[in-house]
Amino acid sequence: MMLGKDVELIDGEPIAYIRSICALVLSDMHLGFESYNAGKGILVPKVNLRSIKKIVEKALEGRSVSKIIITGDIKNDFSTVEIEEIKEIEEFAAFAESKGLEVVLVKGNHDNFIDKYKNRLGIKIHGRSFQEGGYLFFHGDTVPAIRKGLKMMVMGHEHPAISIISGSGRKESVRCFLEGRYKGVKLLVMPAASYFAGLSSVTYGEMLSPVFRKVDVGNMRAIAFGYGRTIDFGKVSMLRLAARRAKEERL
Amino acid sequence: MIDRIEHEFGIEESLSVLNEYVRKWFTENFNELTPPQRYAFKLIAERKNVLIASPTGTGKTMSGFLSILSALFDKALEGKLEEKIYCIYVSPLRSLNNDVYKNLTRPLEGIYSLIRESKGKEIITDNIRNVTIGVRTGDTTQQERRKMLSKPPNILVTTPESLAILISSSRFVENMKSVEYIVVDEIHELANNKRGAHLSLSIERLQEISEKKFVRVGLGATLHPIEEAARYLVGMEGEKPRQCTVVDTSAVKKMDVITISPVEDMIYTKEGKIEDEIYKEIDRIVSASSTTLIFTNTRSGTERVVFNMKKRLKYKQEEIAAHHSSLSRESRLEVEGLLKQGALKCVVSSTSLELGVDIGTIDNVIQLGSPKSVSRAIQRIGRAGHTYNAIARGEVIVLNRDDMIECSVMLDAALKKHLDSFSVPRNPLDVLAQHIVGMAIDRKWEIKEAYNVVRRAYPFSTLQMEDFLSVIDYLAGNYVGLESRRVYGKIWYDKDTGIIGKRGMFIRPIYMLNVGTIPDEVSIGVFESSTKKWVGNIEEEFLSRLENGDIFALGGKLYMFEKAAGTKCYVSQAHSNTPTIPPWFSEQLPLSYELARLVGKFRGDISSALENMEEDEAKKVVSSKGKPKIPEDAQRILDGMPINDYARTAISKYITEQLLFAGIVPTDKMILVEYTYDQKSEKDILVFHSIFGRRINDTLSRLIAINLGVILGQDISIAINDNGFVVSPDEPVEINEETIETLMRKITNSDIEAVLRGNIRNSEMMRRRFRHVASRSFMILRNYKGRRMPVNRQQISARLLMKAAEEIDPDFPILKETYREIFEEVMDIGRTRELVARIADGSVSYKFVETVSPSPFSHTILTFGHADVVLMKDRNDYLRYLHGLVLDRIGIKKGRKHRVKK
Repeated sequence: MMLGKDVELIDGEPIAYIRSICALVLSDMHLGFESYNAGKGILVPKVNLRSIKKIVEKALEGRSVSKIIITGDIKNDFSTVEIEEIKEIEEFAAFAESKGLEVVLVKGNHDNFIDKYKNRLGIKIHGRSFQEGGYLFFHGDTVPAIRKGLKMMVMGHEHPAISIISGSGRKESVRCFLEGRYKGVKLLVMPAASYFAGLSSVTYGEMLSPVFRKVDVGNMRAIAFGYGRTIDFGKVSMLRLAARRAKEERL
Repeated sequence: MIDRIEHEFGIEESLSVLNEYVRKWFTENFNELTPPQRYAFKLIAERKNVLIASPTGTGKTMSGFLSILSALFDKALEGKLEEKIYCIYVSPLRSLNNDVYKNLTRPLEGIYSLIRESKGKEIITDNIRNVTIGVRTGDTTQQERRKMLSKPPNILVTTPESLAILISSSRFVENMKSVEYIVVDEIHELANNKRGAHLSLSIERLQEISEKKFVRVGLGATLHPIEEAARYLVGMEGEKPRQCTVVDTSAVKKMDVITISPVEDMIYTKEGKIEDEIYKEIDRIVSASSTTLIFTNTRSGTERVVFNMKKRLKYKQEEIAAHHSSLSRESRLEVEGLLKQGALKCVVSSTSLELGVDIGTIDNVIQLGSPKSVSRAIQRIGRAGHTYNAIARGEVIVLNRDDMIECSVMLDAALKKHLDSFSVPRNPLDVLAQHIVGMAIDRKWEIKEAYNVVRRAYPFSTLQMEDFLSVIDYLAGNYVGLESRRVYGKIWYDKDTGIIGKRGMFIRPIYMLNVGTIPDEVSIGVFESSTKKWVGNIEEEFLSRLENGDIFALGGKLYMFEKAAGTKCYVSQAHSNTPTIPPWFSEQLPLSYELARLVGKFRGDISSALENMEEDEAKKVVSSKGKPKIPEDAQRILDGMPINDYARTAISKYITEQLLFAGIVPTDKMILVEYTYDQKSEKDILVFHSIFGRRINDTLSRLIAINLGVILGQDISIAINDNGFVVSPDEPVEINEETIETLMRKITNSDIEAVLRGNIRNSEMMRRRFRHVASRSFMILRNYKGRRMPVNRQQISARLLMKAAEEIDPDFPILKETYREIFEEVMDIGRTRELVARIADGSVSYKFVETVSPSPFSHTILTFGHADVVLMKDRNDYLRYLHGLVLDRIGIKKGRKHRVKK
């Protein structure tokens, strides 16, 4: 699905492609999630990295790409850097390199202490934001400074999803992108790429990022993906209305 | 080889096998041998494996133990009794353990004092020691454990879980090499579940440790087929079961039973009046007996009955007591103590007094509502009658018309000893995983050698090498990369040499702290927020899925969830038809397959006797006007049933009503498919009257909903009950006979397991069961490095785990086991397959009828059905479908909101 002429949301996947700068954008990968849990006695099989590789491979098909931009939270454990985590990030970096891709990370709140591995990993790391070709990439846990002439701002952190009450009264949550405006500049909120991502519902929940204090969320569009498709679900305010109606129907 | 013994031994012959002091003690304390004792003393003395099936109060424990005591005193007299364990007694109940401890201490002291009297000083010179006994359960203190390690008792009384720990504790094992006997009590509570499968592997591992081939003694209530229980007890030797002699004296107790309908008309009598009559019945029975035990099936029912008996019938505080699993252990023990003393007039229990400790003086058992299985009914009634020659009296008071037919047929079957069958769970991989870890802790094993030990346990006798290896691969952490196996692996497995062993120092405490098959559940009290009135209990896991505004069913009513606070939650009454969360957590007992078939057969017999009645006569039956002439055949059938007159009248009325209204009565050979309009939900619905037991209905209803969903292209709601199920499309749509024919054709041609798998994958039941299986398989450690993981955390983890396991391998052993558990233990895929085959070949037929309003037989199905929804998730355009729902709600597309009314 195209957002304007330059940005494409790859069908059914949590990844975007920006043609003018030959870049894929991913967010909130949370590598090392499984070993973090294993340390607590929950032996989650390792599938996250594998599934992210698949997403990237699908996005590479027929597109000219030279870099992957990650809008934060490449790793999971924010209190330290786990050996297993670094191993997975290394594996991801090697994977990117084998595809001829440069990895650019804008640090998220989970990415503490990663700088010292910068050279070993061979990836570029930016502290707060990164700008290229009129696009501003940032994580979203803090509010970025905006400069003039931006085409679009791209952020992560939020793990957005929408909730829909189905005909039989069951609730379904589906991951989504959000598209809207921040101080007049176009804003794209990326879904989490992690296989295990926790979701925050824009239909019910309060927004996580301070960015949304200055954004009319109801006016943003939710673009959901899954089951092999990506579909524009329209304005968040309408989804909220539908949820209220569904609740009224049940009472 | 399994054989049955039919002829009892003579009294002299039986007593002659006993050591002289044991014999003396026995004849001084008992006047006679009870039926099981007349077989068991001799058989066990001959070191035969024996399974004894006999009701409570028939001297069962003594029948299993006396020859063992005799052999141990033989040793003592020879001065050869060492500080070693010779006999292990295992029961699933801790309270029973304490009871057995007490009941054996008395004979041990009695026999030893006889020896002391006769031997005098020789006791010391010949080193004649008394036989010792000790209890080891989760309650045993550290100090006692240490003492037991250095001074083990000769007879160890324990639970399956403690036994599993003991066989893997390197120092204690030394004390168990001398085991010669193992006694498994309440075998009917073990043979049919995972806990029992777990025990069976522990016993085989114990046999590996033990220097002698030990004698196995099983004790239990009646089980059908009893040979299967025997195989469970003794296990396999090569391809054949080991020797076992079955002693079945379960029929020894005479029963006097009756089904009581409290009023003549269960429909038009006012609710208050019915209740009055029920309590009058109870009062009549209780005051005519010395002690009465009442079963109510649910905890809330128990509380209500106790309350009303005090309030309405003026029973005094000290005459009556409640007993259910939510009460504290102390108060339960107190009630049991009072019962043994004969101090109570009446005790009311949910199901908790069904098994276990001898409760003494009870002479009458009342059941309020159906126990749903013949065996369970017999087990409960068998709690009455203190001695084996007393008559066990039992009354079942029924609460609705389906209950009435069911209970009448059930008691008739009980008198004829037509029992429900049980089945042993086959190859549960989660239980296997625990034991492989345990075995690897003990020592190194060659794969083939370990496999052979496992296959000796009957539940694993058909285990495939492939499945065994998949569990080993999982435990070795072969599903993650080499570098992570340090964390993931619990055992190491060298593929070249085919040897397994333990990995790391943490694995022993992990095994010790997490062993067992019973999942963590916490009970949450539900209160109405306006009145603060307690309305029931739900499980913690269920609570964690509720969100503000969710609607769920509890105790037959719908409530809207408001908020949770600690171990309580608050709700208000909901004015809605459909719950938003399906209650998989029902405490209701499922109707057994055999009883359901008997009910179906009875319906067939009685309806063919009634259907030729003149319409005028039939109308008289239904309206209760005049004196209708019931056909002779029908009257004969009814007269032969153990039921009261009200029930007789009500049964013929109920059947005749159905015949007049729908012209047809569903039976064990015919499924009635009724297409009708439900006023309450304002929807057209399909009622499938299928009387094959709840587990089949659970399976069949899903199959039908999935296939109908595909035909009609929408979500289908279902509501399941013992007598049938309701299927309703979410949107109004025309259904006719052809639709049903297409549907049935589709089902008979489908791969049932694959269809169900696809659907169950996304269900709440799958998630919940997966969590249990994952924690049994040590994939989620409930107890890790000294921390207990809360249930909600386990649950979130289970969701992630399941996703990840599916990604790795759809046949991952933990997923495979979850499906097996659902298909074989919750549902009944085997019998459903048989039923579908019989529908295909026509030996079971189905008939489509259209009615203007639900037929009489539909009423309880509609009222008490358990709701769920079969989603259309596999559909490719699911996202579009969801989108459509949103558009509908905000009024962009028409339809849905305005239902078509007839």
